[in-house]
Amino acid sequence: MSGGRRGTLDEAFRSWPGRAILGLIVPVLLGVVWFVTAQKGWLPEQLLPSPVAVWQALADTAASGDLWTNSLISLTRVGEGFAIGAAVGLILGVVLGLSRRARELVDPLFLLLAQVPPLGLIPLAILALGVDEAMKVAVIAWASFIPVVLNVKQGIGDVPRSLHELAEVLTFDPWYALTRVVLPAAVPPIFTGLREGLANAWQTMVAAELFASTEGLGYMITLGRQLFQFDMVLAVVLVLGVVGLAVNGTLALVERRLLRWQGQAA
Amino acid sequence: MSWIALARERPAGSLWPGGRPLVLGFALPALLLVVWQVICLARWLPPYILPSPVAVVERFATELADGRFGQDVWASLSRVLKGFFFGSAAGLAFGLLLGLSRWADRLLGPLFMAYRQIALFAWVPLLSMWFGGGETGKVAFVTLSAFAPVVVNTWRAIRAIPDPLNELGAVLTFNRLDHVSLIALPGALPGIATGLRSAMIYAWLATVGAELFLDIAPGMGGRLNEGRDKFEVDLMLVALVVLTGLGLLFSQAAALIERRLVRWRTR
Amino acid sequence: MNSHVGNQPAFEAIEFTPALEIDHVSKTFYVAGRNVEVLRNISLSVRPGEFVAIVGASGCGKSTLLRLVLGLDTDYEGDIRLEGERVRRPGLDRGMVFQEHRLLPWLTAAGNVAAALRRSGLPAPERARLVTEHLSLVGLGNFAHAWPAQLSGGMSQRVAIARALVNRPRFLLLDEPLGALDALTRLRLQDELSRIVQRENSTVLLVTHDVDEAVFLADRIVVLQPDPGRVSRIVNIDLDRRNRDRSAPAFLRLRDEVLDVLGVRRTAREAAA
Repeated sequence: MSGGRRGTLDEAFRSWPGRAILGLIVPVLLGVVWFVTAQKGWLPEQLLPSPVAVWQALADTAASGDLWTNSLISLTRVGEGFAIGAAVGLILGVVLGLSRRARELVDPLFLLLAQVPPLGLIPLAILALGVDEAMKVAVIAWASFIPVVLNVKQGIGDVPRSLHELAEVLTFDPWYALTRVVLPAAVPPIFTGLREGLANAWQTMVAAELFASTEGLGYMITLGRQLFQFDMVLAVVLVLGVVGLAVNGTLALVERRLLRWQGQAA
Repeated sequence: MSWIALARERPAGSLWPGGRPLVLGFALPALLLVVWQVICLARWLPPYILPSPVAVVERFATELADGRFGQDVWASLSRVLKGFFFGSAAGLAFGLLLGLSRWADRLLGPLFMAYRQIALFAWVPLLSMWFGGGETGKVAFVTLSAFAPVVVNTWRAIRAIPDPLNELGAVLTFNRLDHVSLIALPGALPGIATGLRSAMIYAWLATVGAELFLDIAPGMGGRLNEGRDKFEVDLMLVALVVLTGLGLLFSQAAALIERRLVRWRTR
Repeated sequence: MNSHVGNQPAFEAIEFTPALEIDHVSKTFYVAGRNVEVLRNISLSVRPGEFVAIVGASGCGKSTLLRLVLGLDTDYEGDIRLEGERVRRPGLDRGMVFQEHRLLPWLTAAGNVAAALRRSGLPAPERARLVTEHLSLVGLGNFAHAWPAQLSGGMSQRVAIARALVNRPRFLLLDEPLGALDALTRLRLQDELSRIVQRENSTVLLVTHDVDEAVFLADRIVVLQPDPGRVSRIVNIDLDRRNRDRSAPAFLRLRDEVLDVLGVRRTAREAAA
């Protein structure tokens, strides 16, 4: 038997370009099947618009500027809602994480509130705030708020006693201890909370826009559906995927940056 | 008061706190209820905008007496369970495939990860196109929502089985079936349990959403819509409370199941 | 290069079929873009029932060699033959004990031992009997239904040994089996291992960095030198395996001899001078 080198095939597939190619095989194949199916008309246009039509719809909305405007609106909504929800959630989470008494007081109520489906709140929110921007941002903020509080609370609470004692031994004042010891130690769970909050915000934004909106990516989908322009529906769904990827990716990058600065997670 | 001192008082971690924590826990909600009732009594807001807690309870009783409520709850429940079952089963199979087969991982993994980027609710219009806005469409959506979490958790869990244990299977000359039943599945079980728990929660959220959007058949979400259409806030609140209660039930049930599946860990 | 066969009379070479034959085996790993030669031209003949220890510093490829004999890796130059047949894949004729016990946490001690019988084709009652027998053999008869999490390191390793033996393998391969245990447990298990191996009359290949352990247990010690792994020397242990005294002069002399080959003692003496 020959000794020495491993098969070059195996080696190639461990590297980045090799894996990317492998990952594309099935999607490309599916794309081809899709194209052929549409060409031959095996499925009605309503069920499966042809890739060409989808591409055309995408190009049209991009050219007319609709795609960009609506994307921006959706992103702004998520941004605003998430910023508010995460900020409030962080503060509340820190307070709850640090104070057992606060936890005892608020936990049961909070756990109950966490069960309220954000989407279920939309009808109520519409009645209370109308169908405009404030309602959507409020609901998105709520959806972001909950996971942030839960994770931050958990993370701060999990900071080991030894670190608290260290801060005391070094005679740190409470604020310094909080910002230099407790918070950095809790960064990983905080980021988990932020990630979950952003994911929630994103999902809620899409749902809210589908449900009750006059602009945004979700609205474009609803509009396409109402006008029976299913190629547009599919096109926007794909755009949503890409934008979602970009948003998640950005957060992941920020997280990696911050964690590197802080050193290895505890 | 020193924050550090406060932080040191960490709870003992019992499920049923009892004593002072229990009382404190009820204090805040009770207080809010009282404030709510007072606001209504003082008529600071008209009753059609904010019905009093008493009015909500009354409405709840009325609805309960009117048999339709049971139907709605049952309809919502059956959707969740059907969607959860189908979605988890498919998710488990797919997750096992991705976890056990290097080639499936390389060929199908990236496609799945890309699919996950698309917000769940974006699929509602498409699914309603393909399956209609009735029962099938809703169940299809719930199935989809349960699918992804199970796949991810199963896939990850199988990959996380330490190499030495996988190798042990080779040393003991296990075949595929032996390996899956003695090493892969038991080893991945905790992760799978977590996935199932997530799937349960997502399935419930999806059911509520689907019922809000595709408002054709009976269901609690439909009642919420009904309340909104008729401007009956008390009905909306009743529906919301029931939805929340059911959600709580599900998440507890899911957590319980997860705990039971992971029993051997804590021995 | 080739083995220094010590005091073995020549006629033995034709009288027996070696249980295990390692024939000019070389192994190279391709790591991070470079070729790393781990084993070079290893040759060794092991008689049936013989206990051979392989000692050497870290990185001399001892564990790799064992994995090749086990059949986990078939990508090497040269030949490895078990009773004349080439090794192609793992088999139940070779029992292996790793340094980590590698017990399946979700099976009891008995369950873990029974796992090794899964592919044996034996009927259930026979399997149950073998499991009980071998757990008693390692002194854990009362712990059949214990979970690995409840067992100490030494006990877990004993279960692993029982698992390796339950198929009555012709070959027992041990890769630093006692390395993860504390010194006292190690000594105790060495005694047990010696007893068990003699009773089962297995052919054993033991990899260890503990020279005392090797001298205590083995008939022959193969000393490997690292970078790349080559046979440095083979030392015969002419002591009666049934009662070896760790403090006897003969024992210590042989131990020193091995340490010399490893280049350890010389350094210590120089340091003392």
